Amino acid sequence: MHLPKQSPDELHPMNQFTDFQEFLNRLPVFSGARAGVVKLFAYLAKQEEYTKGQLIISEGGLCDRFFLILSGKVEIFQFHKERRFHLQLLSEDTINHFGELALLSEFNWFFSARAWTDVVLLSISREAFTKVMERYPESYQAMVRKIINLRINRFIDQSSYLLDHISPEAWREDPEDE
Amino acid sequence: MNKPAADNSIRITDRPLFYWILRRHRSMQLILLLVIVVSLFFKVFPLEMQKRIINEAINLKDTQLLFLYCGLYIGAVTIAGLMKYAINVLQVFIGQKILIEMRKELYQHVLQLPLQFYRKMQPGTVVSAMTAELNAIGFFLGGALAIPITSILTFLVFIGFMFNLNPTLALLSMGMYPIEIFVVPYLQRKYNKLNTERVQTTRSMANVVNESISGIHEIHGNASYGLEEEKLTSYIRQLFDLVKRLFIVKYGIKFANNVFQSFGPFILFIVGGYLAIHGQFTLGALVAFLSAYEKVYDPWKELIEYYQSYQDAQIRYRQIMKIFDLDPPHPLLPAGREAFEMQGDISLKNVTFTVPSGVRLLEDINLEIRAREQVALVGSSGSGKSTLALLISQLYDANRGTIELDNHPINELSKRDMGCSVAMIAQHPFIFSGTIYDNLIYGVQAVAAEKPLPDRAQLISVIRQVGLQDDIIRFGLQAVLSFEECKPFRNKFLRMRQIIQTSLRDEFEPAIEFYDASSYLYYSNIRDNIIFGDSLNKEFTVSNLPDHPRFMELLAEMDLEKPLLTLGFALASQTVTLLADFQDDEFFFRDNPMEVNEFSTYSTLLEKISGPQTRDKEARSLLLTLALRFIPRKHSILSLPSAMEKKILAMRHRFQEKIVYIDMDHCKEHGTYTPCNKETRCGKMSAFVPFCPSEYMYTRTLLDNILFGAVKSEKLLDERLRNLATQAFQDEKLLDEIMEIGLDFEVGSKGDRLSGGQKQKLAIARAFLKDASILIMDEVTANLDNTSQARIQNILETDFKGRKTVIAVIHRLDLTPAYDRIIVLKAGRIVEQGTYDELMARKGDFYALTKAES
Repeated sequence: MHLPKQSPDELHPMNQFTDFQEFLNRLPVFSGARAGVVKLFAYLAKQEEYTKGQLIISEGGLCDRFFLILSGKVEIFQFHKERRFHLQLLSEDTINHFGELALLSEFNWFFSARAWTDVVLLSISREAFTKVMERYPESYQAMVRKIINLRINRFIDQSSYLLDHISPEAWREDPEDE
Repeated sequence: MNKPAADNSIRITDRPLFYWILRRHRSMQLILLLVIVVSLFFKVFPLEMQKRIINEAINLKDTQLLFLYCGLYIGAVTIAGLMKYAINVLQVFIGQKILIEMRKELYQHVLQLPLQFYRKMQPGTVVSAMTAELNAIGFFLGGALAIPITSILTFLVFIGFMFNLNPTLALLSMGMYPIEIFVVPYLQRKYNKLNTERVQTTRSMANVVNESISGIHEIHGNASYGLEEEKLTSYIRQLFDLVKRLFIVKYGIKFANNVFQSFGPFILFIVGGYLAIHGQFTLGALVAFLSAYEKVYDPWKELIEYYQSYQDAQIRYRQIMKIFDLDPPHPLLPAGREAFEMQGDISLKNVTFTVPSGVRLLEDINLEIRAREQVALVGSSGSGKSTLALLISQLYDANRGTIELDNHPINELSKRDMGCSVAMIAQHPFIFSGTIYDNLIYGVQAVAAEKPLPDRAQLISVIRQVGLQDDIIRFGLQAVLSFEECKPFRNKFLRMRQIIQTSLRDEFEPAIEFYDASSYLYYSNIRDNIIFGDSLNKEFTVSNLPDHPRFMELLAEMDLEKPLLTLGFALASQTVTLLADFQDDEFFFRDNPMEVNEFSTYSTLLEKISGPQTRDKEARSLLLTLALRFIPRKHSILSLPSAMEKKILAMRHRFQEKIVYIDMDHCKEHGTYTPCNKETRCGKMSAFVPFCPSEYMYTRTLLDNILFGAVKSEKLLDERLRNLATQAFQDEKLLDEIMEIGLDFEVGSKGDRLSGGQKQKLAIARAFLKDASILIMDEVTANLDNTSQARIQNILETDFKGRKTVIAVIHRLDLTPAYDRIIVLKAGRIVEQGTYDELMARKGDFYALTKAES
């Protein structure tokens, strides 16, 4: 078998984790973090691929990592009284992350996530987060603050969505106004 | 007392050293003695020849006679040499034989000593006594009889020969010996005393080292290196002082011997020379006399050395026996009857137990437990509940009062009786090195004479009962089976592979990247991508490939060597830069082709070379190793360009074609490969097995074989396997086989390769398998998760209800309602007993305990 000769550049390995690093740098949670910290996260992050319709995490499962969407859309939903409630549709260009609380504490997922389209995700495990924070303890507080802010933003987004779709019976006048 | 064997009527620790020598392997010792006696003749005969060569052959100038005597001389010397050789071999052989028996009998005695003995004794002392010190005695044992007999006889024969030549001269040259008889033993006694001290000091030193190794966590934690070093230093100093004195005496003895030895020839030359000059002694006789004198010294020296080693062995022996000088508290076997088949009635009357320091752990315990009753022993820690369980299992002996099992006093029961009827599970059970199977049958095997070994169905049923099946299946799936081991199941496993590849493919695809001869594998390393198979003789492992001439040639031919070196270099330099501050933590290397312990090698390498295309062979090999280990999807530090993937695929085909002669097209089309097609050579490469759907990969685990691909996500795989494959395994009737393979999993020293829960479950299964009528459990489920705890509890309440007497020491009181009776202990006394409801209604100590717990 004879293959055409490649130029040496074509065969040169590519620096995948510098791409990850650039991606992480654009995220609010890593903005202002030390270069070393972001670099380590880029190195420890895992790329995960899911096909359309595939379950990424399911409610009740043990949480262990935080997800970032590199491409595609992810649906967040939750079961309540055996009914499935759509909460959010995430995509790479809007809110592009979910499961951020998994970095801080161990709990069971209180929502599920499904690949709405084919998706490529980047995940950072709690173990990796803890290991990096052990090395850069001075960054820890700022990181926690940012993770909480992410959570608040998501909470606001999800609440607005639910309020938009709430049944009329759930609506109540403010007793003060009466 | 232990059942005495006919030969061993004296307790082992009371036997003198010569007891072993005089009573063991007598016939072999007799043969040895015979050889010795015969060899004596061949020792003296050459001396007579010496005399005749000079006096007759040379004197008469008779060449014929000279040749004859010289021939006889050399013949005798050779035979004597051969016999000496045989004597040495026989001697060591006998010594080692006796040593084996000594060690076996001593070990049996040591194992039977009461638990209290082991509380006081440092393991180091027992270990060194059983090994190194007994070895030293072994060397003495073989020659214990032969050496003195040989030496004395040889000595006498040579002296006889000398007296025969000239009595006066013989008497004179022997004159020095009596002096030596007094001086040497005097020095020897000194030596012995010092040697005893040396043995003791060495033992203390071993204990210090042993203790610090056992407590190494504490030492690191406290940074008490200095303290520990000091402890050892004092012993090292003492030892140096002793050894110094010891050698002064030892070489003093040697010096005395040498001086005496030199005086002999002096007298011989003066007197013998005088007599020869005056014609009263022939020259031949003088030469023979001189030789004899020289020779007579050898047995003398041997005797003295024997005396030294005898004293040495005697000291060691006495010290070893002193350590173990205790009676085993219970006989091993029942005297003149079969072991009792007990119902499980237990009765304790006025039982008191006090530890040697005087603390009373149990006081005046009176308790009747009916056969098949299930009782719980509860109480706060230190109340004596575990001690009570240990007393009933005969592991401790009460100081006062009586304990009876089925009306037999427990102190009259043999260990075999207990082993057959009582199963005990400790809170922190011990797991022995060996396989799961070895550990499971440990208890039954011990009483194998009375009970049959459990069959496969029983083993698997107990494993299921205690909830160990998932673990055993996992162990089974991780096993690498040889050709022979795999043979019976091979087709079933391949069938399983086929099921996963076809009907379960969609379920497994997200978790597994299946091997495909024409695709690049992103979850496999570059080595697997090229070789696409394994060689049974490890010819194509990552570590062997850089030195494989034909592989390297092909790599160069395919223009792949440079890009791989570049990849290796990039991997090394990225990692070294990124992880320079993290080389102490294995975590950061998990997804890197470099291992944590290789960091310094690669970091030194990068300082040495300027780029990937180095000429240094070792450097190239290191870079290539890293590249061959690279897994694109796992090692996200770099990614491969698609041109490189294509090249690697091309290399894979060329490798199959040129090096291992495999027709992958055939494999693709028909599912089987033809190891030797058309013009290729057959047989030579048959050890190579490619990743072909019809082939079992003997170098890979069972799981690898069934999955036939690389794992993309462990998590997904775990779910898929649990949900689907288990069912499929069951349908294919493979589950029991896999479990059986899992039973052969090596648990490591002290069961190190098992988790705490696994060890505990294994110990529970081990006790259940014994199927004894009395089951004693000391907080056995305390370290298990709630599900496992409930499972074990359920067995007690269903399977064992009305079948076994159960005594359970329990900490968690919510488990107690299931028991027929609850016994509450407080400060070594029984303060309450009754059913759960009775005790709760009484609002006494038990009620208080439950309140404290909630």
